[in-house]
Amino acid sequence: MTNSRKGEKPPTAAAVDNSRRSFFFKVGAGVSTALASTAVMAGAVPRDPDDPALRAALLEEEQALRKLHRAFEQAIDKGAYDDVVEMFADKAEVLFNGGVFANRGDGISRLYRERFRAGKTGKRIEPAPGFELDAALQQERIEVSADRLSAEAVFPYSIQAGEPIETETSLAGMARLHGEGVRTWWEGGVYKVSYRRDAVDGRWKIGRLEYATLARADYRPGRTYAMPISVARLSATYPEDPQGPDALVPMS
Amino acid sequence: MPMRIPMHRYEYTKLTPEQIGRALRATENGPTSVSEFSNVLAGKTLRIVTNDGPVLEYSFGANRRLTLSENGGSSVSAGYGELTLNQMVFFSHMIPGEQKGYNVFIDQGTNLVTVFEVWFSSGIVQLEGTPNEFTLDDREVQRQIYFGYVDNGQEPPEKLHHYTNRIAGKGLYWKQDTGIETLELYASVANTNFVELTRHIDKLSWVSPSDYVLVNDNTFIYNRTEVEFSGIHTCFVADLFKCEQVGVRLGFNENDELEYYMFRGTGKVVGQLAYLEPFDEHGLVPMFAQQNPNPPKGARTTYRPVRTFRWMSDEEVHEAAERRTVAFASGPNNVPQVVPSGHNMPFSDILVGKEFTLRFDNGGPVRDYRINDKFKLQYRDHSENVWREADYRAYEGADNLAWFSHILPDSKPRASVQVAVDFTNGLATSIESHMGTPYYGNETTYRAVFGVVEMEGIEPPLYTRHHFTDELVGHAFSWSYSDQLTSMHLYTTPHSMSWTIFTANQTMGAQWCSPCIYVKLRDGVYLFCQNEEACNGVQMIALINTNISHDCGFSFNGGANGVSLSTTGGIGRHIGKFDIAEYYGPKRGMQA
Repeated sequence: MTNSRKGEKPPTAAAVDNSRRSFFFKVGAGVSTALASTAVMAGAVPRDPDDPALRAALLEEEQALRKLHRAFEQAIDKGAYDDVVEMFADKAEVLFNGGVFANRGDGISRLYRERFRAGKTGKRIEPAPGFELDAALQQERIEVSADRLSAEAVFPYSIQAGEPIETETSLAGMARLHGEGVRTWWEGGVYKVSYRRDAVDGRWKIGRLEYATLARADYRPGRTYAMPISVARLSATYPEDPQGPDALVPMS
Repeated sequence: MPMRIPMHRYEYTKLTPEQIGRALRATENGPTSVSEFSNVLAGKTLRIVTNDGPVLEYSFGANRRLTLSENGGSSVSAGYGELTLNQMVFFSHMIPGEQKGYNVFIDQGTNLVTVFEVWFSSGIVQLEGTPNEFTLDDREVQRQIYFGYVDNGQEPPEKLHHYTNRIAGKGLYWKQDTGIETLELYASVANTNFVELTRHIDKLSWVSPSDYVLVNDNTFIYNRTEVEFSGIHTCFVADLFKCEQVGVRLGFNENDELEYYMFRGTGKVVGQLAYLEPFDEHGLVPMFAQQNPNPPKGARTTYRPVRTFRWMSDEEVHEAAERRTVAFASGPNNVPQVVPSGHNMPFSDILVGKEFTLRFDNGGPVRDYRINDKFKLQYRDHSENVWREADYRAYEGADNLAWFSHILPDSKPRASVQVAVDFTNGLATSIESHMGTPYYGNETTYRAVFGVVEMEGIEPPLYTRHHFTDELVGHAFSWSYSDQLTSMHLYTTPHSMSWTIFTANQTMGAQWCSPCIYVKLRDGVYLFCQNEEACNGVQMIALINTNISHDCGFSFNGGANGVSLSTTGGIGRHIGKFDIAEYYGPKRGMQA
């Protein structure tokens, strides 16, 4: 399931206007003066957390981040991996399956444009039967810093993940003709996200994203049952693995 | 004379556009036909409007000449041929001076039209920008299908002819008025398995991309283009009530002769396979569109494996084999496989503790075996009288029937054996495999040898043997090697088969084919062996037990990375059967 209506183009990073400029427009004239001063203050001296103007501004930032995350999910759901990559800051990093993919133009691009695309990974699917997240883990949490230059968030996810079937058999080659030849499974967990405001254009960007996976199952939509599966952690870095991470996360 | 060289081994001439253009001058007067042309269009003018395609304005004169204006352009004159089938009228023509033409099917009852634009010398580039980039052969006929209607000034119809999956799984025998006979097994929404019963001496089956268009419940329009072979195009409309067809054949045959003729044919439904897609899936969208919503003109889902298969000499392959020959390694570090993967059958210890001799007929090999381990055996070939040790894997393919394989160490060319030993009946069959064919060093060759097992307590028969069989011919089984990798095997002829890959919703999709052999071990228990010839050279040698709907076996292949012997096997489902055995076998004496 997706949030977009039929025929509606999913919002892209550029289309999601989470900049401070749009913020002022949306808040309206009545509070613009107060928020303008808040904006001017952003990044300067911390404000009183009980300041109503600050609280309103923070709520507005939360909404902007929620919107950014929806855009991220929709883009990845549609396989619009180029748009996904544009949502990251230049010096961002993604932790995925034991690997650290660093920098938007390098590791993160490799992760989404190559690994995710090849594995048809990221499409939202309903949780595998029996693997639904606890209610507490289904809650979204967003905390915006008082200076509104950074934020931390947690969002639940339930996605299809996969990897190409590694064989040069004709079966796989033929399956690739119609876009298959990929082993897929269900994966659920939470995104742990750090955002930071871009110094140049004032937009929120993803600075760090961790796929904190809580469960994996051999589930595909339509099935009525699922069994847990294990998936090998990434074990080789780029360029040994052409789609690999820049570094490996030590086993805890 | 029928062809003798298999289509996938034949070296078709790379005809140039100039050669093709010169040959096509012969089409300016239209196609020929053994049957008398019909004449319902003479004197008429038609304006055909198509969806996302051209507007074709035709005037049909006497003597099978027409004029055509495309999209309001200037008129051209061409010869045409016309045949009717019930309410359908089909006409075909080429455009003089161009390497293209049209095959047009008109339903006179509904005024709905299906138009095939056909052309040569496409210049279409595939795998563009990759090291394997190639351009389609100019002789390969391209086609683009447009659905439309005859515009008589009426409101455009809401429903047009459309793609369909309702022909999928059906098989037909056809005999044209030319005397040409074919078996056409439509075991995919995008391909055909076709057997040339008169054009080819060995009656092997091959695969070509196809389109299936539904006119009404008993009428469909069909085409196939023998891409990767001669590139010739066959297109017809068929009535399944009466099993009759009218159509056209256009293209260059193996002798580079231009064929452009229309035909009538009669046929027979020979069976139906189940098709496994959801019941609300009607195949209205061609398969390639699932991946590409804006496919280029002429796009079709075509497997062209030989284009990326790198030729290696026997010596190159053997050098690679000397560097690396592995058996039953399952991981990147050549970790021995001790547990079967996917849905394969379990490895068996049926041979452990046994000593026996396999003696094959007609001077075939004689090998002694002594086996004390589940994964390692010792054998001695009487031709060299040296005990050797080899890794092996065995299954119990049927009760008290061992099915095992191992490499023949130090062999040149590198060889392996796959052996069925029936301890109940004292019979043995070995598939003797080695690297290299007359065509590629990195393909495999196989042959079956039949004999007996000599062992204490077994009295082997003198005359009874396992033997080649056609009992599987016509049957189709899906084989699920894992939950996410399933292939349907269709045993098309006594000496060939095809395999079909399912799409995500289990529609039968991409196909390819190869020669093969079938051996009967017991009722319901068979050996099946094929090499993916002119494809990737990989050999599959499986024991099929239809009683338990399971197969298990081995895969043997070699190339730049050395030679490898591994295991394979899957859960089967019987998908159906075509009654086609009567079309095979030697002709009786005095038969033409």
